[in-house]
Amino acid sequence: MARTSPPGSPAGPPHDAVDDHRPRPPGPGPAHPPGTSAADRSETKAADAPGPWRPGVVKVLARAGAPLASACVVLALWWAAARAGVLGEGLVPTPWQTLRAAHAMWADGTMTADLRASLARAGQGFAAGAAAGTALGFLTGNQRRVAALVGPMMSFLRPIPAIALVPLVTAWFGIGEQAKHLLIAYAVFLAVWLYVHDGVARVPADYLRAARALGVPRRRRLTEVLLPAAAPSVVAALRYGAGLAFLALVAAELGGAQSGIAYRLQVDGQFLRTDHMFVGLIELGLLGLLADALISAVGHRLVHWSSGS
Amino acid sequence: MTALVRLEGVEVRYGRSLALTATELDFAQGSFTSLLGPTGCGKSTLLNAVAGFVPPSSGRVLMDGVPVTGPGPDRGVVFQHYALLPWFTGRGNVEFALKRFGLSRTERRARALEALAEVGLADAAEKHPAQLSGGMRQRVALARALAAQPRVLLMDEPFGALDAITRARMQRLLTRLWEHTRTTVVFVTHDVDEALALSQRVIVMAAGPGRVIADHRVGDGPKADLHHRIVTQLDTE
Repeated sequence: MARTSPPGSPAGPPHDAVDDHRPRPPGPGPAHPPGTSAADRSETKAADAPGPWRPGVVKVLARAGAPLASACVVLALWWAAARAGVLGEGLVPTPWQTLRAAHAMWADGTMTADLRASLARAGQGFAAGAAAGTALGFLTGNQRRVAALVGPMMSFLRPIPAIALVPLVTAWFGIGEQAKHLLIAYAVFLAVWLYVHDGVARVPADYLRAARALGVPRRRRLTEVLLPAAAPSVVAALRYGAGLAFLALVAAELGGAQSGIAYRLQVDGQFLRTDHMFVGLIELGLLGLLADALISAVGHRLVHWSSGS
Repeated sequence: MTALVRLEGVEVRYGRSLALTATELDFAQGSFTSLLGPTGCGKSTLLNAVAGFVPPSSGRVLMDGVPVTGPGPDRGVVFQHYALLPWFTGRGNVEFALKRFGLSRTERRARALEALAEVGLADAAEKHPAQLSGGMRQRVALARALAAQPRVLLMDEPFGALDAITRARMQRLLTRLWEHTRTTVVFVTHDVDEALALSQRVIVMAAGPGRVIADHRVGDGPKADLHHRIVTQLDTE
């Protein structure tokens, strides 16, 4: 079954493109069938190299081409803007200055400490919010009466962003880790609930009718019908929720913290260290991208049937 | 013959609209009956009431004298759009129905393959529904419904989405299966030819509001005359 990924998907080269063909040669030269001698190898030209690996490499390059090109354009624009001094001298760091700042932050240990603190917060808040949102989504998606009870409350809460809750949560719980987990979990919970609820409510009624007419008991209707039928929505919910976890993380850390990527951003802001601030922003972007790639890769493996239909 | 399924004054309303006026009907054990009529005549509603998907607003459905309160494995259902579970293979879909018998894994597997062979799908057992044609999907659905060993098989326009050739082939398959198992069948269709080709009895229904207008026994003789009468009945309504 051909696995499809959305355009611009950060999931990297698809597995089937790599698995079906020989690994890419380490150097610029072509791969060789086993048994060819070193002398043969040096004679071989890329153009007449036999073997099935070349379409594979072309495919991988074609897949990676668009994201690479997009990164190059951004880098070029960034560099040009820094060089032109559009905002004033030294206010936009060059890519090179940013890289040096990143290295300095890595060397003095602040980057590791910040990453660890932020990831722990985002991870724990996400886990709690996603678990609660998924569970409630299944309940309300399947039970109309519960949905009628819970739905209006959720619609009321959804326009209230996590950042608006920072003062209240700080008043109640102080600026400890618990408060940050709560804020992140809140944001993730609302988003995940909405997607999962919608996905479960859309499960074709005939699936459940067929199961009941076959005498399938309630527990198996949940695990063998509702869960797989709603799985694509759950994956979408978790991807969206992971993005929100980082948004809420920033709100939580700006509200008072002693470590973390957003805390560092705020400190660097006070000293106008724009190169350090760029590093922090890039860290946030990369973390979000990685989380999304991870969830969608796992999702593709679990929801293997939906690519064929 | 005794009545396996009995409708006593069954009336179904959706909100304020009357989908099926109070209906009295018996379905004999081992019989093959078609419910024939245009869209909105209540034929699917009647079937859903027997299946237990839709509660009657008055009256009751009796299964072997016991009132129906919801769906159950004694009443198998074949849906127009198959309702196969896309995450299971053909065999997985049949095993889904077999699990309630508490068989060992190997025996369940063997029974599922047997059921698929019965509908001519031995080769497609390991394929997912998305890889199967409409006719093949409906064969899997038929194998799945029969695997649960229902006392009555309720079929809701099961061949409505198939092309003419596949449809004729499925009709032959169904007739063969029925002659073999003698499971009671209630078959919903809007196709006069299909009803006459398959059934021993054709119940004609009309819309606005849904109701039974005629009840024909299909004999062994020529069907042209009966065909003409049914078409006339459908026209005058």
